[in-house]
Amino acid sequence: MDMLLEALASLMTFESIITVLVGVSAGLLIGSLPGLTATMALAVLLPFTFSMEPLQGLVALGAVYMGSIYGGAFTAILINTPGTPSSIATTFDGYPMARQGRAYEALAGATIASVIGGLVGVTFLLLLAPPLARWAVAFGPSEMFWVAMLGLTLVASLSSGSLLKGMIGGCIGMLLSTVGVSPVGWETRFTFGFPAMQGGIELIVALIGLFVIPELLSMAAEGRSNITESGEFGKAKVGIRQVARHILGKPVNIIRSCLIGQVIAIIPGAGGNVTSLVAYNEAKRFSKDPQSFGKGNIDGVVASESSNNVMVAGSMIPLLTLGIPGAPPDAIILGVLLMHGLRPGLDLFTESGVLTNGFILSMGMAALMLLPVGLLGARLIHKVVIKTPYHFMVPAIAMVTILGTFALRNSLLDVGIMMIMGIAGYFLRLIGIHAAPIVLGLILGGIAEQGYVQTMLAAVVDPIPWLRLVENPLSKVLAALVVLGAATAMLPAWLERSGRLDKGSPNRGDDS
Amino acid sequence: MILRVNTDMAAGGFGLGFAALLWLGGTDIGRLSILFPRAVLVILVAFSLLLFVKGFFRPGERSIEISGSPLRLLVLILLLLVWWFAIGKLGFVVSSFLIMLFITWFLARVEGPVSWKRLLLWTPIIAVMVGGFYSIFTQVLNVRLPSGLLF
Repeated sequence: MDMLLEALASLMTFESIITVLVGVSAGLLIGSLPGLTATMALAVLLPFTFSMEPLQGLVALGAVYMGSIYGGAFTAILINTPGTPSSIATTFDGYPMARQGRAYEALAGATIASVIGGLVGVTFLLLLAPPLARWAVAFGPSEMFWVAMLGLTLVASLSSGSLLKGMIGGCIGMLLSTVGVSPVGWETRFTFGFPAMQGGIELIVALIGLFVIPELLSMAAEGRSNITESGEFGKAKVGIRQVARHILGKPVNIIRSCLIGQVIAIIPGAGGNVTSLVAYNEAKRFSKDPQSFGKGNIDGVVASESSNNVMVAGSMIPLLTLGIPGAPPDAIILGVLLMHGLRPGLDLFTESGVLTNGFILSMGMAALMLLPVGLLGARLIHKVVIKTPYHFMVPAIAMVTILGTFALRNSLLDVGIMMIMGIAGYFLRLIGIHAAPIVLGLILGGIAEQGYVQTMLAAVVDPIPWLRLVENPLSKVLAALVVLGAATAMLPAWLERSGRLDKGSPNRGDDS
Repeated sequence: MILRVNTDMAAGGFGLGFAALLWLGGTDIGRLSILFPRAVLVILVAFSLLLFVKGFFRPGERSIEISGSPLRLLVLILLLLVWWFAIGKLGFVVSSFLIMLFITWFLARVEGPVSWKRLLLWTPIIAVMVGGFYSIFTQVLNVRLPSGLLF
């Protein structure tokens, strides 16, 4: 407790507050640019922290991380382009809201959810780090395989219209994740003679291509802007207080999303993209009005944004206690800790307790700072988006996506892959194969493969190797959850087909 | 524009084609590396066949609608691909400036003919936009953008 108070005192300086403010603003700006991820924001701003004191450096990076994850929601809502992969699920309802002239409501909802999510994540991190980290160690390869499978049950609810088409999309995504060097055999696969393809298909490249390019093509074909024709920001209809009252009036949604975000965040490798998709799916599943999801339901935005901001602090639990990054940006934080001679583990909470607690508390401060910075930024960014004529908007977005894609690996091939995937994505959407299941397959394919192949390797002498996948009690629980998840996701479709549910139903997970 | 297409058969056919492409591309891969992709390929083929067969007996959507102008759609697709090739040849700045100006002019024609005056007005705006992003990426973010033949 003394350490906590000491850490709090060390944060209450003008220098620290300015560092958090600048960090959140910079993170928000970078996160809102499609293609520039939280990892990239941290990597780009890392050199600026070299000359800082350890606490200041960590405070700055924590603020950038929090700001960039939140910043992804801006473009997700305004132009249907997730600024970071964590905001994929935000597009599902945020963008339809923006098109209905409810951009302000969506952005305010995202902001409040992000602040609450950020604060909840910090509280979890402070209170539960050691016991939860011990639990995370129990996740071996077979458990990771089932975690990936659990994520894939989402395909059923993201399939728009046809479950089979959704499954085909998920399989295509998983196969795309296998392009390049395999994670277990270390062989090059499916590169078709292009050595540059050995690096595989970067998730962000696919994400930009599948989400942005089809939208640009639609805008060009239809000769319209993607935001509401009347250009309304929507503030006149709904104010921040009403949005806050709506969100806090339905605490179950936000509590559930935060818990999902926290549980998934401590599993290494799962990341914010998985947390937001799972939280969105559960919000839809438990909603009294699931049909409205995908058509502009603020609860979908709240679920996605609260869970991905819980993940920011939540993923630090395995990092600070075990040195295992819970998400890719955490690897950079780990690098900074090591650079300053700080080794993850018990020492970080005892010998360097003031520093560690100061870092954790600074993330809480950054979460609070999202409210003023975010609401001000929302107006500015929306103004730019809404006032720009569509014939400027289309080439400008195309240029930013090209830049963002190129900057990931300095690769023109990535730009080509992005464009080809985007063009293919446009036509696939026409025949009913949507982007969301493909992206989900791409995210979870790598995790599933590693878990599956490692389990099979360990079971090479077993008479029935695949039984190893359900050998541990935890694996059995996860496998049962997969079956349960798949069944509950398919139940509405079955009920609808058998005539026991009203037709006319949901455009489920429409990513258009 | 409405095209008559059995979407179930089209999606199933695409799945089968994609599976065939990867199956043929994965012949010389060792057991450990092909274990997972092959399992997914089998599942993909199964789902695609199911959908294809379903398309025969109980087809879903029988038409697709390309909303707006197919010409503008095709021209933008072409321009995006040309942009990609041109970046490598002419460099980021020159190719982006030229193609952005062309796309702006092409899309603005929806509202009516574009006068030279408007085009001249847009030229510095686009130049500043390209130059601004170029400077941010090269100077602030330290990303080396392709320079090509000209710049």
